[in-house]
Parts: sequence; C-alpha cells; structure tokens
Amino acid sequence: MPETAPDTIKQIVIVGGGSAGWMTAAALSSMLPAHAVRISLVESEQIGTIGVGEATIPDIINFNAMLGIPEAEFLKATNGTFKLGIKFVNWGRLGEDYLHPFGPHGADMNGIDFHQFWLRHLEQNPSSTIEDFSLSAVAAKAGKFAMPDPNPRSVLSQLRYAYHFDATKYALFLRNYAEQRGVRRIEGKVTEVRQDPETGFIQQIELEDGSAIPGELFFDCTGFRGLLIDKALDVPFKDWSHWLPCDTAQAVACELSGDILPYTISTAKEAGWQWRIPTQHRTGNGHIYSSSLMSDDAAIDSLLKDLDGPAIGSPRKIRFRTGHRARLWEKNCVAIGLSGGFLEPLESTSLFLIQEGISKFIALYPSADLPASVRDEYNRQLVKKFEQVRDFIILHYKATERDDSPFWNHTRTMDVPDSLTQRIELFREAGRVFRYEDELFSKPSWVAVLLGQNIVPKSVDPIVGTVDRAGIARSLQSMTTAMTNAVTQMPTHRAFLEKYAWSGASA
Amino acid sequence: MTTRSKTIIICGGGLAGSLATLSLSLSLGSEYHIVQVGGINARHEDHLYGGATDPGSYNFLLRLGLDEPTLMLRSATSFSFGTHFRQWLDGRSWMQCHHAPLPTPSGIPLRHYLTRENAGLEPLLISAQAALAGKFAHPPADPRSVLASAEYGYQFDADEWVALLDRKIGETSARRINAEIRSIIHESATRSVVNLDTGEPLEADLVVDASGLSRYPIEAAGGTFRTSRSIGFSLSKTPSDALGPPCRTIDADETGWKATTHLQNARHTLRVSEAGMASDEAAAHTAALGHLVEAWVGNCVAIGHAASVFEPLTPAPMMMLQRDIERLLELIPTHADPGIERREFNRRFRNDVEHVAIFHGALITIDSAPETEYWRAAREQTASGKLDRKLAQFSNRGLLTSFDLEPFNEEDWTIAHWGMGRRPHQHNRQVDGVSDTQSQSELGQIRNSVQQLVTKMPPHHLYVGKLKQYLEKQNYA
Repeated sequence: MPETAPDTIKQIVIVGGGSAGWMTAAALSSMLPAHAVRISLVESEQIGTIGVGEATIPDIINFNAMLGIPEAEFLKATNGTFKLGIKFVNWGRLGEDYLHPFGPHGADMNGIDFHQFWLRHLEQNPSSTIEDFSLSAVAAKAGKFAMPDPNPRSVLSQLRYAYHFDATKYALFLRNYAEQRGVRRIEGKVTEVRQDPETGFIQQIELEDGSAIPGELFFDCTGFRGLLIDKALDVPFKDWSHWLPCDTAQAVACELSGDILPYTISTAKEAGWQWRIPTQHRTGNGHIYSSSLMSDDAAIDSLLKDLDGPAIGSPRKIRFRTGHRARLWEKNCVAIGLSGGFLEPLESTSLFLIQEGISKFIALYPSADLPASVRDEYNRQLVKKFEQVRDFIILHYKATERDDSPFWNHTRTMDVPDSLTQRIELFREAGRVFRYEDELFSKPSWVAVLLGQNIVPKSVDPIVGTVDRAGIARSLQSMTTAMTNAVTQMPTHRAFLEKYAWSGASA
Repeated sequence: MTTRSKTIIICGGGLAGSLATLSLSLSLGSEYHIVQVGGINARHEDHLYGGATDPGSYNFLLRLGLDEPTLMLRSATSFSFGTHFRQWLDGRSWMQCHHAPLPTPSGIPLRHYLTRENAGLEPLLISAQAALAGKFAHPPADPRSVLASAEYGYQFDADEWVALLDRKIGETSARRINAEIRSIIHESATRSVVNLDTGEPLEADLVVDASGLSRYPIEAAGGTFRTSRSIGFSLSKTPSDALGPPCRTIDADETGWKATTHLQNARHTLRVSEAGMASDEAAAHTAALGHLVEAWVGNCVAIGHAASVFEPLTPAPMMMLQRDIERLLELIPTHADPGIERREFNRRFRNDVEHVAIFHGALITIDSAPETEYWRAAREQTASGKLDRKLAQFSNRGLLTSFDLEPFNEEDWTIAHWGMGRRPHQHNRQVDGVSDTQSQSELGQIRNSVQQLVTKMPPHHLYVGKLKQYLEKQNYA
C-alpha cells in the first residue's frame, strides 16, 4: 500500500545559472507546485557563463514542449534558427565532406534497414550517395526548411530538426519562465559550502554578503568549477582525454554573411576542429584543439582566418577536461551540466546531457530521505548516457584516413573502447548497425557517420542478396523524386524564419 | 564487395529446425545452400515452447509466408491476448495480457496515478478484460479505438506448425535429408563435416544446432550448457469442439503448475513439475532448465532449446527461438573469420537469456510461495542483481528500470508487478500537478470505455468461426 504522507523535499537550491542552472530551475518549477517546494537559484553576475552559440539535437524540442514553451516565441527570444543536421568537412579525408542529417535515410522495407538496400544498389552505382535519400540532408543542402508533416504517408514526415540559438538568451528566457513559477533568484557569490560533519551532506551554502542558503537538495550547476560536486564533495573525475585529446577552445562570434544555413558546420583542422553555428543575426564560431599540439596563438589565428564575416569582439579561451564525475549524484548534490561532465560539442550534445540529467532526476524524483537506491540508479543511467555519446564522438576521430598531422596520426591509431571497436567492425564486414536500447543516436546517424568517414562495408548483408536490383533501383528513384519535389516546394530557411519567428534584433 | 557460395546445415527437424530452415532459405540468396537434416530431436520437446506466442510472432510468421488465414484455416491455431494466471502463488490471479503502450494522461505514466489512487490496473486493460470475458476481435488501425491498444499472439499446436513449415520448405530450394547424424567434426572455425547414418558426409560453412535438448552439434563444437535444475513435463490433448478463451490459462499447485491452451479443435494441457517424481504423470519427460554459456561456438550456432530452456510460463520460449533466428539472420557471416558476428551474437544471446530469466524470476519472487521441493528450487534460480534493481526501483516510486533490448517491455513489467501485488511505496511526484478529481475522472473514463467495448465484442469461438467463413468465401483456402 502506498504511504499516505511521504516525506517530501521542501527546499531545493540550484547553485549556478547559465543553461544548466536555468534549465533545471525551469523544469523543476514546471513540475513541482511552488507552495510545496521552495526552489532557489544562486548565481553571480560577476561569474560569466560559458554561453557560446549553441547547436542542439531534436530532443530539445521535447524539453521545450514539456515546459509548454511556444516554439516561435522561444526562437524570437533566442535569435534561434532551424538545424537539419551537421556538415562535417575534412574529417574522413582532406577535401571531403558529408552531412549527418537528422531523421531517417529512405524507408526500411520488410524489416530490413534502408541502408542495406542502398549498399546493394551502390555495388552497381558507385556514384550514389546515401545523403540523397535523407529529406533533411536534401533540404539542408538546398538551404530550405519546412515543418514536418504529422501524416506518416507524407514524405515531409521524415523531416527532423533541432535549433541553433544564443545560449545566453536561452538561459534568460528560461529564467523568466522559472521566476514566473516561483523560483527565487539570489544574487551572490558562494564563499563556503557547509557540510554535516558526520554524513558529509551539504547543509547550506554561504554567500559573500554573509547570508546562508540552507537546502535539502542541491544542484551543482557551477560549470567546470564544480563548486559542490568537486570542491566540497570531492567526487572523482573519470578522465577520457586519452580518447578525446582536445582540451581547449577559442570562441568568437562574427557577423553573418550570406544565407542562414539550416545546419551546423564542423571543419576538421590540424589539431582539432572548428564549429560554425548560424543564429538569426550572427554566426557563432569556435576552435577546439589539443593544447599539447597547438599553441593558443596558432589556434586563434586559424579561427579568425576562417570566419565568414568580421569578428564581433575577441576570442574567449575555454579550458576543459573530457569525461565525467564517477557519480553525478553524490549525497544530496546532483551535478548538472559541465560540473557533471563534459564531452566536446561535436554532435551538439551539451544541452542534451543537461536535459537528460534533469529528466532522469524528475523520473526518479526522490523522497526527502534521498534513498541510496535512487541515487545509484540515477548514476547508472547517466553514466550509460555519457558512454553512449562518447563512443559516437570518438568514432569521428578514429575513423579517419588523415595522416597530415600528429593529432590525426594519434587519433587514427589510438585504442578505442571495445564497444566502439565492435560496432566499427560489424559495419565494416557487412554494413550491420545495431542500436542499443534507449541510445541517443539512431541507426541512420551511425550509418551517416560511418559512411561519411569512409568506412564502406566489404560486402552487403546476405539478407538483401535475394532482393531484385532493378526493384531496388526503382524504389530509390521514386524516393529521390519525392524528396526533390518536396524540397522544391519548401521556402528558403531565411524566408521561413522571417515569417515564423524573426526576432528583429541585431547582432 | 564480394560474397562466395556457402553451405549452412541445420541439424534438427522440429519447430526450431523448420523455422530456421525456412527463414534462412527465404532470406538468403542463391549463393547459400541450405540443408536441413532432420531426425535428431524428439517432437515432445516442442511442447516446451508452450503453445503460445507473443505479438511479435505475427510479422515473423508473415515474412515466412505463414499469414493469419493460413494459420486459421490449415491448423487449429487460435488467438491469444496473453496468459491468465488464474490460480497463481499466494492465491494471486491476473491476466498477463499483451498491450500497446499504456495511456499517459498529462504526459505521466498511468501507474503513477494508480499508485496515488490505490486503483487496480486490470479493469483499464482492454486485452485483459476481453480475454477474461472470452471475447476477441482484431485491433483496428484507428488509434482512437480503445481496442487499438490490444495486442495479440497465437495459441498453437507445435506439431501442426511444423507440418505447415515443412510444406513451405518444400517450395524453397532448401535440401532436406531425413537421416540421423552419426558424428560432427568441427574442423575449423569455418568448416565442419556432418556424417550421416546414410554414409553421406556433408561439408558445412556454418552449422545450426536446432537439435533440442540433445545439443549434440554444439557440444561437439565445445559448447557448455549451464543448468542447476530439471523439470518434468507432459502434454495431454483433449479434443474439443468448443473453442475456449483467447488466452492460455495457468494454475499453480504445490508440486508445479499446468497451462491450458485453447485451440480450435482441442484443449492442450501442459503439466510441469519436479523432475523424477515417479508418482507424477508429469515426469513423463524431463528437461534441464538453463542455457549455453555461448550459443555460437566456432562455426556452430545453437537455437531454440539447444541454446536455452525456460519453463513456458510466458511465451518466452517462442520469443527466444524467434530472437535466436532473427539474431542469426542479422549476423550471417560474410567472411572467413566469423569472430565479429560471433561476439555480437553471443553478447545479445546472453542479454536475452538474462532478461527472460529476470522476468520469470519476477513471477516467482514472493515470500509466501509453497515450501515444497518444486517452488524452493524455482525460487533459488531467481537471484539476480538486475531483478533486485528492478524490484527496488519499482517499489520506491514506481520506476521501471530497463536494460538493453529486453524481450519484455514496460507494459509486461507493469502488468506483472500489479499482478504479483507489488505497489510502489510512494507515488511519483510527477502526478502532484494533477488533481485527484481529474485523475479519478480520467481513470474512470478509461475503465468505462473498456467495459462498454468488451460487452460489444464477440466471443472468441464465434469470431474465429466467422473469420474462417469469410476467409473461405474469399478463397483463402
């Protein structure tokens, strides 16, 4: 029988603002009645946020929907644009590029993955590219955008999208949302984290002005500083830099020039890579690199040289360590965002990992005694999520043929997790891709990147060996025709935005 | 890209052997020679498949050319909304039905409302209520219909299905040899020689062990079967013109349990009890429960009972057999060294075995089970860290912890927990934003819709009768 009056948490303290802090505050305030739980967020204007131009994946739509945020309002407030995928330049080989689009390639038939049919087609049509069978990719290349059609029979139902936006504006947008729902914002810099001498649980945080904020549950959203999870609770960090050697980024915005692209661009460089994220009025840029193989000055030069337009301000340096806390929930502290772990934003997963941290917490929402079994399950699920994203990101570095710099020579020849080796080998043998349950990246995502990085299967899966080639060719032709027609009808990305959610703000 | 001609020999003539032979013949191109060698498994072992499938069998059989009209007209197959645990441990009784994802009012899982309202789950499940009332109708495609949430599998006679499959195999290029296997020599990871009692040696690139409990091929390759318990089992078939409900019925007693399957022309009763009980008719045959440590060893892949044996308390044995075949089809080796495929196959096999075991464990884990030899042995098999985690998380706040690609989904687990009398200690805070009045009203609406629909549905026997008349008129026969 359920207990009638369970002990509930009545005081939650979020330490740190930024995307992580305000996403947490917004989600909790949407779920918990303000009269029952007091939620406070402590942040200091003296401490800047990482806030670079942010690219996302389609899951962000679910997060905003959970909060009941109207899409157009959100896009206007954050200078947001639509994103249909990521273009990877110079990753597999210098001079080559490919798109990792959102959504499926073609249509699976008789329970067999579409890419298997395409691989059989490729045997006799070596110039065919799988991107031509992704509506998101075809639209992205044409600079077009339209909303997906909920009717599964429409080709437009295959479209998937996410956003590019200004992360600082997003945090502000969510701050308004959360404050309207009773979240109390406290301005102040944390000077002390007071713990119970026996249990080590955090009792309160103390601010520069001498005030104390007590709480039953604390969220550490203090970014790389990890004020609670690291400095106070000393939770060890699981370092993955041997697989992902980049440790520094230089970020700068520049003026927008030309069309607003409906995709992110990631260009592989000598010792890392550079991102380009278009928002409505400017482009966010960053150069991520390994500081042991490239100097800051060289990284900045390379970044500035490749900007689309004049830089807005000077590049800002960000140092990071790749990996995650061994336990993201320790005692009465949950680390969300960079304090919990960091994976470079090559596949735009930063906000997703924040979102997962929050949604798993909500699904496991504990009673006031914070049972160890709940913490344990939370940590199991979050670590699994980090590991899944990690393998997908490492794939981009491992599956390269580049041998033009020490950086690529290292990543190309390094040992990778067994789970990833097995995936690569399975694909290399006969194009087989198996998705783990609850895994973020779908089969088409793995296929797009594996093929894009030039891992072409040695043979097709025998299961398509009996399928008539001419029939496959006809099906593929009708798919491309339907997609091309659909994209022709779409407005340009800019035209769609101007009509739907133009912010009117300037850069 | 290259492929070369290969020979796959399937050892076994029962349900596993015939399903595998037909699946491989239809799925692989002409560069694969499929050979089935029958005769080394005993037909009574197929009774351990339990005579019931889950909803996943529909598409699986359809791909083999065994569509529903064929099953209904050419065998005594009937529909199954699941398993009715009519008299289970501690006097529990519930319908372990097949159901589409449960409703999520205001985006919150139904079980959290039920916990807060201390309400029953079964009255909200259309497939449970219909089965208990002996009613059946096909779920419509229109998602607005309450019946669209129902999912179904089949109740079947394994011997009949083998006969149907064998006819289909005859239409393919597969070669069938009715001979006994005298020996198998696994010469390397890519070549075996199967010696028949006819004196004919057959060379194989891949051997599929569908030999049931004998496991000769996989053991010859070095496979190890892990078991700690045996059961006795026997099947009795009672002719009957009156088709029973669209579900299997299971009743437990102190010495084991029996399952009744309701077919178009008969009632089958499978009795399962302690092995070696001389006074018990169920001890007619015995089977060791357990599984291979690795189901793919060298170039030999075991499927069905050769790979794992579970009590057919649920459709798990058929689900495992289907998964074994699908896993094999997805991983047919394409190159000289099948190491990559073998590793992946075994990884997923181990997961499947473990996940079936924990679901069955959840049906046994109860403090008040009889203190008899049979149930003590059954309980001793349930220890698992994953099951402990699932039970602890559900008990805390109704959380359904899931692991990679489990055969039993969230609905199966929710229904099983409720059926076993488990309830979260506290309701999940997600429902706090929805008032009691609102949630009671929503639950009431679902309950009423289900109740009203069930009264309008036809009895299972009438529905099957009319369906067959219709199909015959359409010349399906």
